[in-house]
Amino acid sequence: MNENLEPNEMIIHLGPQHPMQPGPFRLNLRLNGETVMGAEIELGFIHKGIEKILENKTYLQGITIVDRICYLVALTNEECFVGCTEKLLGIEPPERSQYIRVILEELTRIQSHLLGIGEFGEFIGFVSMFMYTIREREEVLGLIDMVTGARVTHSYLKFGGVRADLPDGFKEKTISVLNNLKKSVDDFEEMFHTDRIYRERTVGVGVLTADVAKNLGVSGPALRATGVPFDIRKNEPYLVYKDLDFKVCTETAGDCFARVQVRLNEIRESIYILEQCLDRIPNGPLFPENTPYSRRTPVMRVPAGEVFHRVEDPRGEMGMYMVSDGSDKPYRVKVRGPYYPTLQALPPLIIGTTVADVAAISGSMDGCTSEADR
Amino acid sequence: MDVTEILKSLTDTFPEVISEATAESGIRARAYVDREKAREVCQYLKDSLQFDHLCSVCGVDYIKRNELEVVYHIASYNHPVVLMLKAVLPRENPEIESAVPVYWNANWYERETYELFGIMFKNHPNLKPLILPEDMLGEWPLRKDYKGFPNATARNLV
Repeated sequence: MNENLEPNEMIIHLGPQHPMQPGPFRLNLRLNGETVMGAEIELGFIHKGIEKILENKTYLQGITIVDRICYLVALTNEECFVGCTEKLLGIEPPERSQYIRVILEELTRIQSHLLGIGEFGEFIGFVSMFMYTIREREEVLGLIDMVTGARVTHSYLKFGGVRADLPDGFKEKTISVLNNLKKSVDDFEEMFHTDRIYRERTVGVGVLTADVAKNLGVSGPALRATGVPFDIRKNEPYLVYKDLDFKVCTETAGDCFARVQVRLNEIRESIYILEQCLDRIPNGPLFPENTPYSRRTPVMRVPAGEVFHRVEDPRGEMGMYMVSDGSDKPYRVKVRGPYYPTLQALPPLIIGTTVADVAAISGSMDGCTSEADR
Repeated sequence: MDVTEILKSLTDTFPEVISEATAESGIRARAYVDREKAREVCQYLKDSLQFDHLCSVCGVDYIKRNELEVVYHIASYNHPVVLMLKAVLPRENPEIESAVPVYWNANWYERETYELFGIMFKNHPNLKPLILPEDMLGEWPLRKDYKGFPNATARNLV
């Protein structure tokens, strides 16, 4: 990148620590004046070697490790890991457990989107947005805390079920929190739609078209903002999503404004899913009966085989490829995180824009570098 | 499109190259591909069978068979089938043609597979370490005979 530098060009490094970043990565920009002529990303500042650690832990211990792939969406990571193992074991959680999982994963989606919206506001200078969303997010985290006993890393899902049942009073508390949240989402939307400076910073900035986004391998809200209705919950339903009524939120503009709008609409859809779940959740056992695998089995041998399981993360498509050789530890786990390809698509997206827009475009992707590095 | 149709079209077009093509379920399929032709098969999948979304590229070390496998998970934005395409490589000097000309986002996946397993991707535009420090190149940490774990890499964790 240093080669062939023109006399009026220079290289600046954004990061590894920079306010526009969700975590440490280094963005090297080649600038001509204020225009970005070239960009390159360096990763690895928080590489944790999770794939190697998982190979050396039993399946049950692995649940705790996959939480740490991305602390914001710990439950979705667990769902992916546990779903892989359940497919290898050939068991399916009973309906009550599936509903509890959907409830918690939709709460996770809401809190992740709330933080994403707030951070994005902060990156482009709308700092009070962060205060508004983080307040609502605390309420949602309180609900998750009520069930799992932890705010961010839960270790809550178990093979074939969940660790504990919903506590008393959860339904009433959730409904009151969701009703407040609905009003707040409307307020956020109004703020975003009426703020002139916000609109000037986001409308028409960082435009992705559907073909380019598909070619770059982007998924999640960034892809749906271009008009492609790609959602694993619809395309390849897991848990009870096939019985639930919800729509895939899309926009057509493909710019930063549309990406935030998709997230706001998805919060509304998640609230709608939660209301259906709370109405419909049946009584019953939390674990399947008549299987040799129970939640009290510390050493569990998983039949040999391989499986690729996908779930819809708040950031896009999350997949895991698991190979088992019949022992009590996975032979190989490949984590396909959703933010990894999105981060990879950042350099082509910011070439030709100005330095000020880099923060807006990068922030609108709602990143989690921890997951890109693993 | 349905799994059997996809596998039939694939085996009919590349009878010499594709082996053990099986459907695991209605939305999952698996096939072995000859490593010399992996890129051409990817091109055909993308152009003719709507497999326009590369989920991931990863390596697996089968040390007992003295082989490495490169596994491509290829999906589509239009149908829910995920094809698991595998290429078998020897453990000494593993080399395979890069898929970057077909799938743009294979770039980072292949860089990662290179630094973790030591698999060379020929004609890759920028094959250098992505997540590991440069001085760890050559240790291939995700291979099963790597000795540095946990003492050299993850002290106090295990």
